[in-house]
Amino acid sequence: MATKVTADLIETVRSVVGADFSDMDIIRALHMANNDPTAAINIIFDTPSFSSPAVDRTTPRKTSAPPPVTNSVSHANKTPTPKSIERSDSNRRHGPSEGEPSSADWWLIESAQVAGLSTCKGRRIKAGDAVSFTFPRSVSPPKSGKFPGRGRSMAAASCSEIVRFSTIDFGEIGRIPNEWARCLSPLVKERKVRVEGCCVSAPDVLGIMDMVLLSISVYINGSMFHKHHRTSLKMSHQPTEGSVVHPLPNLFRLLGLTPFKKAELTPEDLYTRKRPLDPKDSPGVHAVTLPLEKCRKLSDDGSKVGDEGEAISDSDMDRIVGVADSSELEEMEPPTILQCVLRPYQKQALYWMTELEKGGCSDGAATTIHPCWSAYQLKDKRGLVVYLNVFSGDATTEFPSTLEMARGGILADSMGLGKTIMTIALLLSHPGKGGSVCPLSESSNGSNEDCSISDQPSPDLKRITSISGFDKLMKSKKLLIGGGSLIVCPMTLLGQWKAEIETHIQSGSLSVYVHYGQSRPKDAKLFAQNDVVITTYGVLASEYSAENTEESGGLYSVHWFRIVLDEAHTIKSAKSQISIAAAALTAERRWCLTGTPIQNNVEDIYSLLRFMRVEPWSNFGLWNKLIQKPFEEGNERALKLIQSILRPIMLRRTKSSTDKEGKPILVLPPADVQVVYFELSAAEKDFYEALFKRSKVKFDQFVEQGRVLHNYASILELLLRLRQCCDHPFLVMSRGDTQEFSDLNKLAKRFLKGGQDADSNDVPSRAYIQEVVEDIRKGEKGECPICLEAFEDAVLTPCAHRLCRECLLASWRNATSGVCPVCRKTINRQDLITAPTESRFQIDVEKNWVESSKVSMLLHELELLRSSGSKSIVFSQWTAFLDLMQIPLHRCNFTFLRLDGTLNQQQRERVINQFTEDSSISVLLMSLKAGGVGINLTAASNAFLMDPWWNPAVEEQAVMRIHRIGQTKSVTIKRFIVKGTVEERMEAVQARKQRMISGALTDQEVRSARIEELKMLFT
Amino acid sequence: MANSNLPRRIIKETQRLLSEPAPGISASPSEDNMRYFNVMILGPTQSPYEGGVFKLELFLPEEYPMAAPKVRFLTKIYHPNIDKLGRICLDILKDKWSPALQIRTVLLSIQALLSAPNPDDPLSDNIAKHWKTNEAEAVETAKEWTRLYASGA
Repeated sequence: MATKVTADLIETVRSVVGADFSDMDIIRALHMANNDPTAAINIIFDTPSFSSPAVDRTTPRKTSAPPPVTNSVSHANKTPTPKSIERSDSNRRHGPSEGEPSSADWWLIESAQVAGLSTCKGRRIKAGDAVSFTFPRSVSPPKSGKFPGRGRSMAAASCSEIVRFSTIDFGEIGRIPNEWARCLSPLVKERKVRVEGCCVSAPDVLGIMDMVLLSISVYINGSMFHKHHRTSLKMSHQPTEGSVVHPLPNLFRLLGLTPFKKAELTPEDLYTRKRPLDPKDSPGVHAVTLPLEKCRKLSDDGSKVGDEGEAISDSDMDRIVGVADSSELEEMEPPTILQCVLRPYQKQALYWMTELEKGGCSDGAATTIHPCWSAYQLKDKRGLVVYLNVFSGDATTEFPSTLEMARGGILADSMGLGKTIMTIALLLSHPGKGGSVCPLSESSNGSNEDCSISDQPSPDLKRITSISGFDKLMKSKKLLIGGGSLIVCPMTLLGQWKAEIETHIQSGSLSVYVHYGQSRPKDAKLFAQNDVVITTYGVLASEYSAENTEESGGLYSVHWFRIVLDEAHTIKSAKSQISIAAAALTAERRWCLTGTPIQNNVEDIYSLLRFMRVEPWSNFGLWNKLIQKPFEEGNERALKLIQSILRPIMLRRTKSSTDKEGKPILVLPPADVQVVYFELSAAEKDFYEALFKRSKVKFDQFVEQGRVLHNYASILELLLRLRQCCDHPFLVMSRGDTQEFSDLNKLAKRFLKGGQDADSNDVPSRAYIQEVVEDIRKGEKGECPICLEAFEDAVLTPCAHRLCRECLLASWRNATSGVCPVCRKTINRQDLITAPTESRFQIDVEKNWVESSKVSMLLHELELLRSSGSKSIVFSQWTAFLDLMQIPLHRCNFTFLRLDGTLNQQQRERVINQFTEDSSISVLLMSLKAGGVGINLTAASNAFLMDPWWNPAVEEQAVMRIHRIGQTKSVTIKRFIVKGTVEERMEAVQARKQRMISGALTDQEVRSARIEELKMLFT
Repeated sequence: MANSNLPRRIIKETQRLLSEPAPGISASPSEDNMRYFNVMILGPTQSPYEGGVFKLELFLPEEYPMAAPKVRFLTKIYHPNIDKLGRICLDILKDKWSPALQIRTVLLSIQALLSAPNPDDPLSDNIAKHWKTNEAEAVETAKEWTRLYASGA
């Protein structure tokens, strides 16, 4: 391994494990953990004999001998640590009698007898003698400075597992069994428990290894109950405590405390390898992975909560179990306010989602214990019930109800089946209007009020948590406002969600608010007022990272009724900010919509499970140990386990899924996808070659300077021109950029607002501006002061001088700024404004119209279809090309419509309706981006993709517009590719991209891959 | 031949210079090199050069209009900003050149320079010194030279 263990990493690990471990130990652990400090810490803590194993295995006799230990004993005797003072003091004062009420914050868990072993010879202890316990040195904060010598502390580390007991009169007597020591030490260290003890019986004169029977009482600190934030904060521990062994459950077991209500799921269940694998044959597996079913069962039992272990009935299971037999799902009618008819499989999904949201226990949920928790009655006279999470070791006095369990799931139907509409149906069925009850936050508010980060196990652990970015989760919960449904989607789908909701429901039946943009309000009340809030992953991540600074407001101040993550694979990377941000949201019901729940790694699933609170799998340690690692090692069982986890919470149908009668749920006519290759005409070829040569020279310069990635934008521009050239050479001569100032008044205003940021001298005079603007308004031709020709692609300088873009830029020594040739004022390139004109082309395209090869190709195809009466959609990425294509379509008497990004939602609808209904309209010109999603164009049965797009998925999305639910005719899709041009090479890049997506590449590899990709295009 | 590939701008400028010449200035391209112009500037009235006809040569370099034209007096002239080789000290011919300037504007600027000599930014130190120490005498010399060399003979 070439990776270097840095001093930083060692320091990080040491801050947690303490000074007891040598640098070498830590380095070793880091190596084993691939330099992941968290994992390394776990290795150290999980391996009792991690450091100097030889010494650890020594006999008690030997351990008492070395100087450091003697040292520690004398410490305990003469100058006891503050803790031992307190302990022995209380022992002396109250005596060790059992059941003695402890101070208010300490609760007696249980007393038990422990067989200690004598480590001394000749000392005495008699029944009833109070003993005090000395815990390993790591109890004291690391770097206490008491043992500056590293060698010594290393020796001390050798007995870090040993808990000694001593009497006041004789000092050290012996040690308690390792088993006890192991679970007591960390708990005492974190001040979660304390121990009192007295001797029950012992030989009169002690010899080495003699048994000393002790009675010990273990008290648990009340603060421990508060620290555990059960809602979103639970997972905060997991990345650090990858360990799946927790001392507290162990201690309870050793003390002989039996739960009066045992956890349904235990780690032991999962570890037993004998457990049958096939979930079908094994209700047990389902019990583990199907908490929903369990709790329904429990709630049915009503009071008989203790009754456990019964297998859930097959029918009960089948009702929910997804993939395999989803055809058997019941159908559920959507509310009438839904303005469209659901297909049977969509109604099934609605039923399924509704069932999952109930959590199976609509009434009993709050009173049924969460299957991962056990309930214990403490021995303390005050009669406290403590709940213990058998997976995380968390303890609480609050009732952990099943409400905290995953309510929701993964809707993983493949693209085109209508996940969005199914979700909207769900939103309508159970709107969960803002302001509704939010039992979790309300019930837990009281106790959570006073919890803070300081309740963390130890300052050291806290440091680790902050490293992994989870510290925010530790933030104490403030009062949360009850909200409605939150939909998180990629930015590109924001509009679509809003539009889909608006089109598919009766207006006014759900209020929708889009939470997006720089100036978005942070008022939580606004969220609460709306039934549905739509936002993007980007907004979520930024509000998450801003959460600490702006305590009030934002998405995190709301307890959502329901969260829907659209394209949920966005959060797949568990360490990513967005994944953490999503998991940190507070909600009752959580849904993931994704066509690809696993994109490349099983870890993708972990992130979804964590978001959905599918216990116990949101514990990464457990996940890693039982699933991830075995899976990566090729263990079949892990895969089965994943499947059995997913089966109950995931619904996945594909277009070929079948219904009860075995008929496909979705019958789509065949789609024929063809790629039409053709050559450019000789004239076009000349033009293309010239352009290509020029571009290549520039590109080669960048390569030579090693600045390819710095000039990414310029290179893309070069490519853009080449690609446009394949469509039509006119496009290359089109004016490339924004229409921002096409409104002349806006333009004038921009100039005249002047004086704010510059000397008033620099601002052109009002009269001059008015003249310029008037010229432009009148369409005054004017000439460029440099080329003395009519303006070509004119730009306006901030000083209101008009020049051809080319001329101006050519006059500058560097590409980004220069002086105005007219007035010598220094100007930046980005300050240039494209002067508005009528036409986006430099030449009169109408008058000079020439068909490009591609356009001829299209016309030829359309002509063939003309008699059949079938409708066609023509996609291009460039609206300028749509402009151009209008000319020949007019001339050849095709009736057509156009749909592009300039249309608003109503206009779009009108166009689509007209296209669908008017049989005389045969062609729809559409920009690829505008037509990307959410539009149903099944009236057409032909699609022509005029130009290839980088991302094949975008093309596919476009094609999906016609090949989708409702299509009755067979569909033909033709992609036009010009041979021997950048288009053809883009195809190769597309294929490469697919490979890149599937294989994980490092950043460096991606960078070089990008350069390679670009080089490919310029060959 | 250089003329075969003459930029549109130069052709346009030439046409305009010929069809609407600036007062007191004439410029015509050479027959065999369209980038080479024979220029005549009349000495401005109320200047020491009044009555003189000054010949200049003007050459448009390959980079024109991104680079300034090269202009030189052929007629001997007594002027602090013009040296004995006829080279002209004028900012727009050097660092202040802008492609928005043209042959016409350059020549008008030179004409203006004749009206307003600038001895503070001299090209010819002796003449400048003369101008500053004894302007009347210097002006007389200039007039003398104009009569001697620029009388249009």
